[in-house]
Amino acid sequence: MFRNDKSKRVVLLNIEGNLIMSNLRNNFILFLEQRKSFLLGISILFFTFLVFVDLVGGKWSSLENSLSNLSKFFWESLWPPDWRVIEARDYPVCRSSIEVTCSTAYIGIVETLKMAFVATILGFVISLPLAIFSSRNLYSDKIAIPTRIILAAMRTLPSIIWAILFVVMVGLGPIAGVLAMAFYTVGYLGKLQYEAIEGLSNSPLDAARAMGLENIEIVERVVIPESANNLISQILFMFEYNVRQGSIIGIVGAGGLGEDLFLYYDAQMYQRVIALLIVLFSVVVIIDFLSIKARSYFVDDATFKSPSLIGNLFRGK
Amino acid sequence: MARHVLANNLSIGYSSEQVLAEIADFQIEAGDVVSIIGESGIGKTTFLKTIANLVKPLGGNLTVFGKSPQRIRGRIGYIPQKLGLLRHDTVYGNVLQGAICHESIWRSVFGFHDPKVIDKVNETIEIMNLKDKINEPVKRLSGGQQRRVAIARTIAQNPKIILADEFLSELDDETANNVWSVMLEYVKANSITLLIVEHNLERARQAERCFEMTNQKELSYSILKEI
Repeated sequence: MFRNDKSKRVVLLNIEGNLIMSNLRNNFILFLEQRKSFLLGISILFFTFLVFVDLVGGKWSSLENSLSNLSKFFWESLWPPDWRVIEARDYPVCRSSIEVTCSTAYIGIVETLKMAFVATILGFVISLPLAIFSSRNLYSDKIAIPTRIILAAMRTLPSIIWAILFVVMVGLGPIAGVLAMAFYTVGYLGKLQYEAIEGLSNSPLDAARAMGLENIEIVERVVIPESANNLISQILFMFEYNVRQGSIIGIVGAGGLGEDLFLYYDAQMYQRVIALLIVLFSVVVIIDFLSIKARSYFVDDATFKSPSLIGNLFRGK
Repeated sequence: MARHVLANNLSIGYSSEQVLAEIADFQIEAGDVVSIIGESGIGKTTFLKTIANLVKPLGGNLTVFGKSPQRIRGRIGYIPQKLGLLRHDTVYGNVLQGAICHESIWRSVFGFHDPKVIDKVNETIEIMNLKDKINEPVKRLSGGQQRRVAIARTIAQNPKIILADEFLSELDDETANNVWSVMLEYVKANSITLLIVEHNLERARQAERCFEMTNQKELSYSILKEI
């Protein structure tokens, strides 16, 4: 077969070389497969860096003094906070025995909380039926898809843009803020709700359908009680979200703490701005804490001592 | 005797490209207790769901109570493999779900329940020996008790036929046999038709008729034959 020993050796060497190469290739593929997630993470980070470089567009000098600028601004303009924001305002005259209740911060925060509360409940009441119609395990695509499009449209624009529209429609003040936040809440909460409903186990739905129950009964007896914990948790989350939003949308004249923030900012009274921000931060932290506590009550676990609150509310025994 | 289920050359499955099983000839008379055995994933659950009108037949002929399958309030009791109970709700709430089939939609939605419905719930809970657990959330009950709640919910409907899908599969043999004998006793005493998918041959044999669903190697789908 082989003309001489040399050519035989060459062929054998080639085969050996091919085997080594094939082993190396296999090992390399194995290496890549085993580190797929890591390599994907590295690639995403690298891509992010490239996008950032593109955004900077060569103006690296703007980043050079950023920290010293911040430090200068902080110590010269923001610090110390001007706590007059929690003292009673000169006008109108305070008639309350508790002085702090007449302060700018208190009035602003309370208005923001009221706005967030009304917007969240209003948004929930409107979003729940829409979420039910959007759930593909309850209704066909003919109903679910158009409803989903409505919800998507409502959350396309952030509350602050809706606030501009509502300020034009109903004028300056908290009503515009409530409507703007409620509008956004419907879109956002609706999406969370239909995802929770679609995540329900099919088994209770099948049992109820086989019984011949109507959709309205299935929603009332199965869907709402079974997803109640999620729904309540989402309301609490949305309330927190709306408190934060409520303090921003005042910038366009839609009421709440944002109006005062904007006034002080415009007048370059930064020490009052930082004082209001500290108050807002404290309130958000407290709400966050209460919300975590409240949500933990509705988390699904074996030590849960009673049927869900919504389950009881919706049921007359 | 009235015929409750009749299937001829029935094709079942979730898409016409993939027929799961072909049922050549299958019928159940009123009051029959019928079991189906067979390996997992060959179409037993799909067959039950087709009878319950949860899955549309792909072809052939299927009549339930002499008509094509339709959801008629309270007529079919279905116990899924995972029971389909409302885990956060109490025993009472779950059994009530079955009993509301006897009242109008609006009474049930607004919670103005007919006194007869309330009596039915209490009576059924007593039959299933669950009175001391009446206000207990279902998720805190044992596996055997949960099965009894599922049976109670179904019989509170006064169904003409009960379709039970391997609902005893996760229980130990002793508990499963206890629940099975409670169910068998009740359906026989009340002449309710029972079609049960069961993996335990011994229990399946206690039914009056037993069918086996097998996967034919030469065919791409399963068939059902009486054994």
